[in-house]
Amino acid sequence: MTRAAPTTLRPTTPREVRDAVLDTPGRLAVAGAGTAADWAGRLHDIDARLETTGLTGVIAHNPGDMTVSVHAGTPLRDLATEIGTHQQRVALDAARVGRGATVGGLVATADAGPSALVYGSVRDLVIGTTTVLADGTMVRSGGHVIKNVAGYDMAKLLHGSYGTLGVLVEVVLRLHPVPKATATVAVEGPLQAAAEHTARLVQSPLEPIACEWVSGDPGRLLVRLEGGESTLHLRVARLVELLGDGAHEVDESVWDEHAALTAGGPGPGGDGGDTGGPAVAPDGAVLRIGAAPTRLAPLVAELPATAVTAGLGTGVATVTVPGAAVAETHDAVAAAHGTSALRSRSADLDAPAWGPAPSGLPLLKAIKNRLDPDGRLSPGRFDPWM
Amino acid sequence: MPLDRRIVDEFVGVLGAADVLSDPIRTRTYECDGLTGYRVVPELVLLPRTAEAVAGCVKVCARHGVPFVARGAGTGLSGGALPVADGVVIGLNRLNRVLEVDVENRRAVLEPGVTNLEITAAASPFGLYYAPDPSSQQVCTIGGNVAENSGGAHCLKYGFTTNHVLSLEVVLPDGSLVTLGGDSAEQQGPDLRGVFLGSEGTLGITTKITVRLLRTPETMRTLLADFPSVAAGGQVVSDIVSAGIVPAAVEMMDALAIEAAEGATGAGYSLDTPAALVVELDGTAEECDDQFEQVKAICDKHGCTRLHIAGSPEERANIWRGRKAAFAAVGRISPDYIVQDGVVPRTRLSEVLDKIAEMADESGIRVANVFHAGDGNLHPLVLYSEANGEAEQAETLSSRIAELCVEMGGSLSGEHGIGTDKACSMPRMFGEEDLEAFHRVRAAFDPDDICNPGKLFPTPRLCGERPGKYRPHPLEEHGAIERL
Amino acid sequence: MPQQGPSAFDAIRPPERELLDDCVHCGFCLPTCPTYQLWGEEMDSPRGRILLMDLAQKGDIGLDGPFTEHMDNCLGCMACVTACPSGVQYDKLLESVRPQIERNVTRTKSDSLFREAIFALFPYKRRLRAAALPGALYQKLATVPAVRRLAAKLPGRLAAMESLLPPVTLREAFATLPVHTAAIGKRRARVALLSGCVQDVFFHRVNEATVRVLSAEGCDVLVPREQQCCGALEVHAGREESALGRARRTIARFETLDVDAIVTNVAGCGSSMKEYGHLLADDPEWAARAEAFSARVRDVSEVLAELYSRDDDGGPRAPRTPVQGRVAYHDACHLGHAQGVREQPRAVLRTIPEIELVDIAEAALCCGSAGIYNMIMPDAAAELGERKAGKIRDAKPDVVVTANPGCLLQIRKYLGEGAHGPVPLLHPVQLLDASIRGVEVPRS
Repeated sequence: MTRAAPTTLRPTTPREVRDAVLDTPGRLAVAGAGTAADWAGRLHDIDARLETTGLTGVIAHNPGDMTVSVHAGTPLRDLATEIGTHQQRVALDAARVGRGATVGGLVATADAGPSALVYGSVRDLVIGTTTVLADGTMVRSGGHVIKNVAGYDMAKLLHGSYGTLGVLVEVVLRLHPVPKATATVAVEGPLQAAAEHTARLVQSPLEPIACEWVSGDPGRLLVRLEGGESTLHLRVARLVELLGDGAHEVDESVWDEHAALTAGGPGPGGDGGDTGGPAVAPDGAVLRIGAAPTRLAPLVAELPATAVTAGLGTGVATVTVPGAAVAETHDAVAAAHGTSALRSRSADLDAPAWGPAPSGLPLLKAIKNRLDPDGRLSPGRFDPWM
Repeated sequence: MPLDRRIVDEFVGVLGAADVLSDPIRTRTYECDGLTGYRVVPELVLLPRTAEAVAGCVKVCARHGVPFVARGAGTGLSGGALPVADGVVIGLNRLNRVLEVDVENRRAVLEPGVTNLEITAAASPFGLYYAPDPSSQQVCTIGGNVAENSGGAHCLKYGFTTNHVLSLEVVLPDGSLVTLGGDSAEQQGPDLRGVFLGSEGTLGITTKITVRLLRTPETMRTLLADFPSVAAGGQVVSDIVSAGIVPAAVEMMDALAIEAAEGATGAGYSLDTPAALVVELDGTAEECDDQFEQVKAICDKHGCTRLHIAGSPEERANIWRGRKAAFAAVGRISPDYIVQDGVVPRTRLSEVLDKIAEMADESGIRVANVFHAGDGNLHPLVLYSEANGEAEQAETLSSRIAELCVEMGGSLSGEHGIGTDKACSMPRMFGEEDLEAFHRVRAAFDPDDICNPGKLFPTPRLCGERPGKYRPHPLEEHGAIERL
Repeated sequence: MPQQGPSAFDAIRPPERELLDDCVHCGFCLPTCPTYQLWGEEMDSPRGRILLMDLAQKGDIGLDGPFTEHMDNCLGCMACVTACPSGVQYDKLLESVRPQIERNVTRTKSDSLFREAIFALFPYKRRLRAAALPGALYQKLATVPAVRRLAAKLPGRLAAMESLLPPVTLREAFATLPVHTAAIGKRRARVALLSGCVQDVFFHRVNEATVRVLSAEGCDVLVPREQQCCGALEVHAGREESALGRARRTIARFETLDVDAIVTNVAGCGSSMKEYGHLLADDPEWAARAEAFSARVRDVSEVLAELYSRDDDGGPRAPRTPVQGRVAYHDACHLGHAQGVREQPRAVLRTIPEIELVDIAEAALCCGSAGIYNMIMPDAAAELGERKAGKIRDAKPDVVVTANPGCLLQIRKYLGEGAHGPVPLLHPVQLLDASIRGVEVPRS
């Protein structure tokens, strides 16, 4: 039996989201701006697609409290512009922010960027959520204050849930001040050399905000610093000295190249920046992998990667490998006690989205069963686990 | 009703007789944690020495439906480790080894009974430390910190336990042992580690924790400033934040709290000031010094009457010793006390403090204030004498303060947890749908409701027939958030 | 909880309700409590013991059984008193509870035999001297009935007791200190020294060093004859009546002397003598005298540190010769926790040129000696001794100093040999004495 083409729902208020979930029979895919539509497991047949892109806008922003609540479909890029006028920001620089990724989508896909080294991933910035569950229940957890331990932290459950546990409708974020000054220092060299630099860097008191190796010939290490207008240059000088021969300050635009490469684009010199959808090579597949920081470089080195951005301080890397090498990449990462998830790949690639199941899988199934017993939401995202 | 002898024998079979306490006088000493207002004597106290033994105990509980409560150092201030009648307490004090300090990856692997301060003690020879620092850090355990998602004075800049835990080995309520989280921040699927953190012991028992360690900052600058009013101190905090400075810590104490802390430690606080602010900056030398000058200028601008700058690590330690002893030191000025833990948006600090003072005056009960001014987390200390029959009055006032925080757009608890203490106030903060969803999450972990039952959720038994009714959140009234 | 029935304590100085109420159950005492560290059990923590005292006082539990067991388990190290932010006076609570147990709880036959034997031996200088003679303990002390009974029933425990008696030369065991030693140079103070019982027999060299150092630093030193035990061991064990008798005799012996301070070089003696005022507060005849006595009691390090910090004619006076090497100072509980004397011994040691003073990790934790504890609770004491020895080894000292004979004996037993033979274990004043006299640092 074939299903009819899925309808698309585009609610504009939390109430409409709930109505859409309640009134639409069958299976629903949850989507934001679509910047990660082809990440994780492939969706099974669905009856409708619920897009949050109509659910946008700031709900409350009190600059003095350094918090903001927004509708989940708000692109983070737009939010940044709005709060930037108050010299505030959401300290999240995931690669797809520039392509219009929504706040809810970033949470649901557990995304993070280079500055996770200091600010953590989006989970560390979310202080409250409102979520519509598969049966229309609307759950609020957390709140509007940074410090809050009342109740279960549903935001964490939604973080990385890929739309399988509920529809985020509202997200409250903690904000950070926009740094007075930012600088990036680069040093050319292969991955192993970059790992050695990083080992010294993280022992130093220089407090790098990001520390990423980007592949190329021979590749280079990018280190970002933030600080005061009159003081940052002093630390830049210390950093250049620490990194030694060849280290030099570079333009901030290197991070756009980094973002393009993370998305699987052609990398430095290419045009995969903010031109729209991900630009993976036709037979390539992008995987996000994580491991203990010192294990990351040796692990990445043994992969058949064509493009790499590697957070040598965080242990999180994004690699592009040939489609045929996805399964072996999962295995290699698992052997290094790491985690891996398939991101963008060509539409016809049949490759496992996830590595070996974690020991908590029965628990995950139990939670899914309690929140979405009929398996209505985003079926297939955790194939083959559940 | 005493436990069936055969069940007791099963516990003895898992642990050996020496690690099972059944004498009612001995188990009596486990009747409460740091919150003494609620006391329940457990049937048994189990003191396992390994994760496998913990799992073995939980399996026996699961098999027979025996409720269990995990306990660390018993310092919790919300009654989270209050035993359950007819149930067992599983004490984790003997799982107290630092299993590994991985210097290169900046992390430590710990058993749950390791104290918070021991982590930093083990890491400091390598220039590393563990950031969350609850005031009871010299005694509270990392297992308890995980259960409560503990914060501390420095969480304004560095975040809470949840931001520093990479992975957890957990015994689930069915006795199975699973690992949540992994070697990096990149997790697979929903962040179950994050759900477990701060779940107040209701989802399982932690048996192994991997935490991130941070590099000890190059520079730390600490000042202690006196102000003519709490409002003036609050203004300083606002200006610091507006200047784009994120201090490592900003703490405020009022006169009563200072009296207690100074009496306990002789740390050098002024006894004649209405408010004292502790501001700490850390980071690289040049940034720290630059911002410190700005902070000093802001203090002067708001009428600072005395500015003491810690000139040595010893002086800094002294300032913090005074601040961190404040809760317990209140025993010097009052026979009994309740510590509240509400949070308000930081910009409403002065307002909430005025209201608390009014409420205290009305009820004739004294309230001392210690608070994390940077993040709006209040610790009103409600002082009373049980012997003088003030207990009920104090509890009422204390609950009203917590609920006031919710009414002002904040939270019942910033770091101490809901536990037994604030369970009945939960409907003030969360609607029926919210609580029902929490129940579903809980049921996924603990379908038989044997893991620390009766905590966190309002129950008719604890709160009377009808737990307090949900009132609309003020943001909801303003249309800022929506509820259906 | 309201009163449940009549208090389990008798009417003679039961623990005071106000003192019990001071405890807010915060648990800050747990990490410094040796038994909690060993066993991780709430009832063997100060907080748990106070809860038990509270229950007994409220008539909810009796004194025999678990109550007595957990009070007996307490070393009385008073680390919890230092740690407590609420200012709970656990020292006073314990000291009122222990006599209650001694009066009201029947001990097992073996336990009481053993305790009798201990207290038939230790406070008596003459018997200790006899014990120092070569030969088996029983042979030497067959005339003491308590020892005879213990030997008949429990020879093993007698042997355990003997294993803690240090080797000593006969000459030293029978030596006496001069009654009066004049200050060298201009007199800065006049002090009377408690020569002690165990100290004078087994550590006579420490007493000699003390007299020499005090004199060299400008003190007239009186050592009254006919001194007896100060009662410290009995105070700490709850044998109140006998202890108070010794306190009265000690007060009577010293109170008439025209001295600025009554000096001791034993932490345990100092702590109990400083408490005479409190112990005898209910005795109308002795209360004022005891308080006046206690007010004059000083540890030798306090006397020296005070001389050194004087504005007028202050500072170390006697010339020193350098002592090279790492010196680890171990805080005796009865000096650090019970008397709050931590800085002074270190300050005094720092007057020795070139000395490298090093800290021992877990300094607040007891070594397990604790008066008679290592005799009556040998297993717990052994674990604590091993643990302390480990931390001392980590500090890699060339010399270890501590101001209590019990600690010296306990640490010696567990420290074992270093790379270059046994590490010298000394009283701080011995090190200072060697520096002042320009002689080699003694080995013991």
